[in-house]
Amino acid sequence: MSMTSQKPIPPRPNALGLKGWVYAGRYSFERYLYLLHRLTGVGLIVYLLLHIIETGQRLAGEGAWTALMALFATPLFKFMEYVLFAAFVFHALNGVRLKLTELGFFLGRPAQPVYPYPSSVKRHRPLTYVLMILAALTIVLGGSSLFF
Amino acid sequence: MRETRLWLLSLACTTLLLFLLGAHFALMHYSPVFYGQTVEETRTFAALLERGRQTAFLVIYLLFLAAALYHGLYGLRGILLELPLARSYGRWVSGALVVVGLAFFAYGTYVTWWTFTQ
Amino acid sequence: MTHATATQTITFRLRRYDPEKDAAPRWETRTLPVSEGMTVLEALHALKAEQDPTLAWRSSCRMGICGSCGMFINGLPRLACQTQVLHLASDVVEVAPLPNYPNVKDLVPDLAPLFEKHAAVRPHLLNGADDQPPQGEYLQTPEQREAYGQFSICIKCGLCMSACPTMATDPHFLGPQPLAQAYRYCADSRDTGLRQRLEALDALHGPFQCHLAGACTDACPKGVDPALAIQLLKRTLSLEALGLRGRKPTPREVPLAAEFKPNEKIPAPPPRTVPTHPRNP
Repeated sequence: MSMTSQKPIPPRPNALGLKGWVYAGRYSFERYLYLLHRLTGVGLIVYLLLHIIETGQRLAGEGAWTALMALFATPLFKFMEYVLFAAFVFHALNGVRLKLTELGFFLGRPAQPVYPYPSSVKRHRPLTYVLMILAALTIVLGGSSLFF
Repeated sequence: MRETRLWLLSLACTTLLLFLLGAHFALMHYSPVFYGQTVEETRTFAALLERGRQTAFLVIYLLFLAAALYHGLYGLRGILLELPLARSYGRWVSGALVVVGLAFFAYGTYVTWWTFTQ
Repeated sequence: MTHATATQTITFRLRRYDPEKDAAPRWETRTLPVSEGMTVLEALHALKAEQDPTLAWRSSCRMGICGSCGMFINGLPRLACQTQVLHLASDVVEVAPLPNYPNVKDLVPDLAPLFEKHAAVRPHLLNGADDQPPQGEYLQTPEQREAYGQFSICIKCGLCMSACPTMATDPHFLGPQPLAQAYRYCADSRDTGLRQRLEALDALHGPFQCHLAGACTDACPKGVDPALAIQLLKRTLSLEALGLRGRKPTPREVPLAAEFKPNEKIPAPPPRTVPTHPRNP
C-alpha cells in the first residue's frame, strides 16, 4: 500500500462539547462560578418569560388572579420562590464581580511574570470571597420567606 | 462597534436590575420585613391595582421589563451562539431572540398599561 | 558516573489513536520505572524506545520555550517537558492529546485552528507604515513596554485554548490566545491599528464570548495571563465604543544617526515565502 497515493485521513474532531462547560479539568473554582452563573441565568430568563405570562393573568379578572395567588401560597411554590431568590442573589453578586473585572478593575496591572506566576484570577479572589460570603448570608437570611 | 455597544447596554441593564429586581423581591417576597404587610396582602388583586395606578409604577415597571428582557435575552444569545452551529445561524438566533423580546415586551406593556387605566 | 536514584514504577495511561487502524481512540496502559526529575516527555521517549515505537507526539526544545509538547496530563493541559512525573503525586499518569483541537494521531493535536485564528487578529504592528520598512527606531518608555510586555511572551503552545470552556463548544470563537495577542498589539504604543482589527474583534464570536472562567490563565505555562489581556481588551473596546479612548499619539520614529550607512555586505531580505492569510494580507 503506497503512502503517497493515499489521501491523508483528516484529523479527528476532539472538542469537549457541552461536557466541557461542566467539567474539563482541575481548574480553579472561578470556572465553576462561571458554570453556576450560566445555570442561574438560564433559570432566571426562563422564569422571567413565564412570569410575564403569569402576571398577565390579571386580565382574566379578580377570581382567576386570587386562585393563582392561592396556588403560589402552597409550600412547593414557596420553596421554588426561595430557590429563585437564591439564584437571583448569586447571579447578581457574581455578576457584580464579572462586570467589575470585565472592565479591567481589581485584576492588577500587566507586569513581567516571575515564577510562580501571578494570576489576575487569583488577584481578585478577595473580591470574590467578599461577594460570595455576602451572597451566602443573604440567601440564608432570605430563608425567612419560607415562614411568612 | 455594534457588538461592544450591545454588551455595554447589557452592562448598563445589570446596574438597573440590581436595584429594581432587588426592590421587586423586597416588595413581593419580603413585604413583612420591608413594608409591614403580609405577602398575601401584597398580592391581592386590589393591592395590585392600587400600586399599578400610580404613574411611578408604570414608568418603573416598563423600565424594569425592558432591562430584564434585554439583559436576559442577551445572555441567552451568548449561550446559544456558543453552541456548535454553523456560523450563519448566529444571525437567525439573534433575530429570533429579538422577536421573542419584542413580543414579550409588547405583552408586558399592555398588561402594565391595563393596570394603570383601571 | 553512578546515581543512587530511587525509582518508582508509574502506570501510564496513554490515549492512542491510529487513523489507519482505529475507528476511535482507545486507552493503553503501560508501566515504566521513573526517577526523580524525569519529565513526562522523557517518559514518553523511554516508552517509545523500550516498549512501543509507534507512539507519536510532538516535541522539540524539551525546555518549555517552543510550545510544541502540549498535552492533557492528569486533569490539566500542560507542557510535557515541564511536567515532572513524580510531581504529579499519582501512581497513574493519564496522557491525552490536547482537547478542543482535532486529533491527528495518538498525542498529536492539529494546531491549525490556533494559527489561523491568531493570524485573523493581525498580530503585528499596524501603524500606517504598512509595507514600508520603518526609517528609524520607535522610542518606548519602560512604562509603555510594561503595558503589553507580559502578553508578548506567549509561546503559542495552545494550552489556553484547551482550557477555555467557550472553546469546548464554539468552533468560531477566537480563543484566549488570539484575543490576548490582539490586546498585546492594541496596548503597544507603537501600534495604532485597533480599528483595523475590529472586524475580528467586535464580532459575534469575539471577546464578549469570554465569561472570565479563568481556566486559560490557570493553564498558561509562561504566565502570560490571557484572562487579564482579554478583560483589558474589553475595556479598550468599551472605551473606543463610547468615544472615550482618545487618540493614540503617532509612534515617534527616531531617525538613524546621520553617519549610519547600511552594511553593503549584508544582502537584501529574500522575497516573502509565507503565504498571506485572507484576513491578513
